[in-house]
Amino acid sequence: KSVLGTQRDVDNEAPLIYILSKNRVVFHFKVIHYNNGAIMTNNPAVFLLMVNGQIVSADFPEYDDLYCKYCFVYGHDWAPTSGLEEGISQITSKGRVSQSLVWNFPLDITFKSTNPFGWPQIVVSVYGPDTFGNDVVRGYGAVHIPFTPGKHTKTIPMFVPESTSRLQKFTRFWLMGRRPEFTDPKVVAQGEGREGKFYLDWVRSQGFVTLQFNIVTKDMKKLGYDTCSTQISAGQTTAQQP
Amino acid sequence: MAELHIIGQIIGATGFPENNLFCKWGIHTGGAWRLLSGLKEGQTQVDLPQTGDMAYWRWPKLHLQVWHQDSFGRCQLYGYGYVHVPSSPGQHRLECVTWRPLGSWQDQLSQMFVGGGPQLRSPDLIYSGGDRYRLHTVAMGKVVLELCIILRHFDRYGVES
Repeated sequence: KSVLGTQRDVDNEAPLIYILSKNRVVFHFKVIHYNNGAIMTNNPAVFLLMVNGQIVSADFPEYDDLYCKYCFVYGHDWAPTSGLEEGISQITSKGRVSQSLVWNFPLDITFKSTNPFGWPQIVVSVYGPDTFGNDVVRGYGAVHIPFTPGKHTKTIPMFVPESTSRLQKFTRFWLMGRRPEFTDPKVVAQGEGREGKFYLDWVRSQGFVTLQFNIVTKDMKKLGYDTCSTQISAGQTTAQQP
Repeated sequence: MAELHIIGQIIGATGFPENNLFCKWGIHTGGAWRLLSGLKEGQTQVDLPQTGDMAYWRWPKLHLQVWHQDSFGRCQLYGYGYVHVPSSPGQHRLECVTWRPLGSWQDQLSQMFVGGGPQLRSPDLIYSGGDRYRLHTVAMGKVVLELCIILRHFDRYGVES
């Protein structure tokens, strides 16, 4: 019995059908699992961290009409693969019923990495109008993206940099109408390297921001990383985060 | 294919100035998800839909609009809000905060006497953040939901949730 003809799969360059004779046909299948464009691999090189959530609201007893900006800070081995790295929310006012400032502002980003070092942090900066109508900073805060899959709620305190020099404070406020502000909010997320004048500043807390996260990871276990201590056996669902 | 099943109900709402509310809901999924069965949108007291397929970067969001019906039969918008559908399996009790667009002081004055008020032209802004910076909003009440999430075949793709 000879091969009478083969039909080639154009995409994969692998023969699909061997026609041996009129009555006998051998089908040779090459099966590739596609999942919306991502091919399932057995030996992944990167893991993914999917962050879904929102900046829910803020609690600032002294201020109203606030908006917030967010950005992510991460190490050299990390890169965002989709979603938005930065955003500006709407301006929100306190309601008559509740005294909280609600943004309900979506966070949607996916990171890839080879290494947990440099795990992403989110930096939130809150701004509002002063008596002259200029936008001034009302607080900065940063928190690590939660490390375990599941639902997490974080309430982070906000800090405002204060100049140590009284003269500096006076001149900046009255002559320039500006309060001290970090030129790059990302410096709030760094533990070391706060050198120069930032290292000497007193930092005061003026409010709180509540964030909600739903975390999903992919291939962390395949790469050998364990973020949960609970063992998951068949028939048991994943432990819900408190 | 991996599947996400959402079963639950919108339980109620708190913190709104008046009673007699109804809630319109919808699920926004992005292109990579395909609806297998159920409804993608509706009004209160309807079961939530099941959605299927797998997407790494656009987890479904459930968005809500709370409306108030007054004694004259007029409907007034009370709030917009959204929550991400939880990504971990199990029973979840969610509180969705809501907000209402704030108009100019003239709008607010007429709203006090005549009712009504500004509304969003398209519901996109409820669940996306891109153009929010132009908006001025005020906080309204909270909507309470209970959802049960069942995931299927996510471990085949190495997804941990």
